[in-house]
Amino acid sequence: MALSLEKVEALAPDQSSLDAARKLLKPSSWPAVASNGAGIIWGECQGSGATPYRVVVSETDAGNKCTCPSRKFPCKHSLALMWMRAEGKQAFIAAPVPARVSDWLSRRRGSGTGDDSKEGNAKASIAATSASSSQVETDPKAEARAAAARERNRQEREASILNGLDDLDVWISDQVDRGLAGFAAQSTQVCRQIAQRMVDAKASGLATRLESLPARLFSLPESARPAAALEELGLIHLMAEAYRRQETLPAGLKADVRQTIGWSVTREALLADASAIRVRGTWRVVAALGEVQPDRLRRLETWLWLERLPEGVENALRFAVLIDFFPVATGAASGGYSVGDRIEAELVFYPSAMPLRAQILQSLSGAQASDAPLDLPEQSLDDAYKSYERALGIQPWLGAWPFSIRGACVRRHESQIYLCDSGEATAAVALPLRPAQFSDASPLLSLAKLDAVGLWDGYRFTLCWAETELGRWVNA
Amino acid sequence: MNAKTLRVQAYPALLAGTGRQPLAFRCDLAELAQEDASRATLIALSLTGQALRFEHPVAPPNFAVEPVVHDQRPIMADRMRRPLLRLLNNRRASDDLALALAWAFGKSRVRPHPFDLPKMDAFVRANSEHLGLTAQQWAQQRDDSHPAPQGYFDAEEMDETTWTRGTPGLRARFIAERRKHDADAARALVEAVWAQENADTRVRLLMALETGLHDGDQPFLESIGKDRAPRVRALAQRFLARLTGKRGEHPALAACVERIQRSTTGLLKKRAALALELPATVKEHEAKAWIREAFAEVSFEELARALQLTEAQVIEAAEKDANLSLALALMAVQDRRFDLLEQLTRSQISDAWEQLGQCGPFDVSVMTAEERSKLASILIAPYGGKPPASLPAWGWLHHVLEGPAPPQLIESVLPSLRWLTQVLEENKLGTEWMEILAALCQSTHRGRLRVLMANIDPALTQTALPLLDILDSLEKTGHHEQRKTSSEC
Repeated sequence: MALSLEKVEALAPDQSSLDAARKLLKPSSWPAVASNGAGIIWGECQGSGATPYRVVVSETDAGNKCTCPSRKFPCKHSLALMWMRAEGKQAFIAAPVPARVSDWLSRRRGSGTGDDSKEGNAKASIAATSASSSQVETDPKAEARAAAARERNRQEREASILNGLDDLDVWISDQVDRGLAGFAAQSTQVCRQIAQRMVDAKASGLATRLESLPARLFSLPESARPAAALEELGLIHLMAEAYRRQETLPAGLKADVRQTIGWSVTREALLADASAIRVRGTWRVVAALGEVQPDRLRRLETWLWLERLPEGVENALRFAVLIDFFPVATGAASGGYSVGDRIEAELVFYPSAMPLRAQILQSLSGAQASDAPLDLPEQSLDDAYKSYERALGIQPWLGAWPFSIRGACVRRHESQIYLCDSGEATAAVALPLRPAQFSDASPLLSLAKLDAVGLWDGYRFTLCWAETELGRWVNA
Repeated sequence: MNAKTLRVQAYPALLAGTGRQPLAFRCDLAELAQEDASRATLIALSLTGQALRFEHPVAPPNFAVEPVVHDQRPIMADRMRRPLLRLLNNRRASDDLALALAWAFGKSRVRPHPFDLPKMDAFVRANSEHLGLTAQQWAQQRDDSHPAPQGYFDAEEMDETTWTRGTPGLRARFIAERRKHDADAARALVEAVWAQENADTRVRLLMALETGLHDGDQPFLESIGKDRAPRVRALAQRFLARLTGKRGEHPALAACVERIQRSTTGLLKKRAALALELPATVKEHEAKAWIREAFAEVSFEELARALQLTEAQVIEAAEKDANLSLALALMAVQDRRFDLLEQLTRSQISDAWEQLGQCGPFDVSVMTAEERSKLASILIAPYGGKPPASLPAWGWLHHVLEGPAPPQLIESVLPSLRWLTQVLEENKLGTEWMEILAALCQSTHRGRLRVLMANIDPALTQTALPLLDILDSLEKTGHHEQRKTSSEC
């Protein structure tokens, strides 16, 4: 059983949802609750109307669905069902999966259900889809027309993006002409304008990056902002230039630049891509981070660590990140996995020069909370930083890069905490932690040594996990 | 152009603006610049940006040396960490719950996990003296009012050389303890630091000298008769009056005596009758607060001496005046005269528990655990098996005891679910009462209390039930550690 009260807490959009869910814990509110014994639970919750709300939850990844009209996600009914399951006070009758539940399961995107009995069905449904589509009599002319329309749209978008990139060059030239020392102060206004132009040019990735640029700059100390503005604008120009020359780039880098500019790869396309890297193994959730984007979407990142490296798999593929987007209005604050969870799964990586982003192709077991420590390879902070520099050399617009370090320590200078290699009088590499982590990471200052996992974005280190003599420390 | 050239030449120009400070192109870029200067500038920008990305972050020249804290207490059980954080961050949790937890940590000599301190910062800052040395260090580092860390000590680990570095509460407790064994030596410690202390600390230290007050203290008390803090002056005068027996030197006593009307009663045997006359401006609902304030600085003995009666006669004379009986009960509690309090609760003021509860919180820091338990037993006794349904009374008792109540109190609650439900409904009591019940319950009765609470609306017990679990766990960890230590010895 993967559900726990901690997970329910993490999933709840806000405190009022939890309070409302608590009121539904009474058995009288639930005429029926059932489980298939393989990670799927469902029930009917009597609301104020005549028809009860139908709730279904996958214990494997906390995926859930309810027929109530609430805009919160998960709603109080789903939370209450998970809560009852986590507490274990309410008996769930064993029953076969009803049609409405199997229908939901077959439509679910992503990480598998853990329902072994239905796994064949789920696979079959994908196969059946392709089989049925081949069986359906298709009109070759209509097909050709649709393909031509798609190609025309693609070409139009390519042209639009190239036009937009020309405008972007002009805009960057103007900023450089004026000088980047004062760019941060006026960045909110000027970035919004060019971001809107990029939206018009259908370069949504660049638009988001430009719109969030002021926030990134203002998160840094004032003295670091001019250099950061220079780096960012230089990087954006580099992306634009790379996009223009994409045909000359290696396949991975080409895929990177197209995704960065705004061409998305659908899950279906990723699964159909035979060349995409697939890694099967036991993964540990080492970080779950959330960030609200300017487009009112919450970006939830679940960082995974491969516990045992299978033969033939590069060390660079030890980390993977699952990225989910939710509308902010739903209040969803968690991707369904908690830090420390162990998942047996096969992941498929998006094409990239430095593959990190992945999708769960097949979940072989449900997420299990685990207290086992991470067995990190022998790697100092200095070595990890060198790996980062190598990766940066391969993929110049690298974002957050995961570090795994043995024998590190945290040290304080004034009101800033740094991650350093332990046992060195003067630190060769000292990475400043995010200021928001100052309080949470302070207890680590008294420890001489720790093994750590974290993310470095070029400016700040986000400490995600630390194995210490006092036990596990995780980023709150 | 290499990274160094870009850093030295291109970087300043890009920051200042190429309009003002044109870029000096070299090599390939110079050729390109002749054709398209704008494009060459953008390439220079990208290259400079990338060169900056490869620069190592600047390490500070030195790092702070962190204080080493040797906290010998065992860390609480891992499985209770999440429930504890959930409880402390629950918006419905009352202050009493936080206090119950802090006192339990203190009594069990267990400490919270260091990694959880940031997540319960407010709790740690408010109750650090009960939570061990690491928590004290955490609280002091975050307390802006202290210019520098004061040191971290448990009361048990303090001695004559380190006692000045503890928190004011711990220091007062240390002095009170020392007074029991060697009153002069304890006073000498206070005298040595007196001039450097602030007014609050001076008041606390002076109050601690009340334990074992004797003639030898007179010179010191006279020397602080002109202290700049009025509270210190008043307290010193009160102690001096107690030592010298001079009535005129105690303004608070004089004010109280002025308010007490004396008459005689009885036909055959005349005896004194006392009545407390409240000021006309004090309304009925303010009476208890006024009594509390007026009699706070007066002892039972002083009042009896001023009235020229024995203590027993004072109690007898006050039997027809409820306000005066309450005032006497207050003084008996303050003076730790439990014999007098018992006499009062038996004969005149059987609901002293509720009435004292309505008077507000008491400073019982100088009372020992045994004294507190005795006080509670005396107050509970008149109620028999029917404890009051007043939240302030239960809250007051919780504050006095700082831990479990005498078993008879919880035993009176346990048998009657009907009574409990009725009290909850009639008095609109919520989670806070359940929390106090849980906090006052001894470990031997917690199982039965859990069963009782399981039959109550879960919304009312959502914080009390986890509190019971945590209290159990803390005690278990503490006992385990004590057994381990004693077996090692």
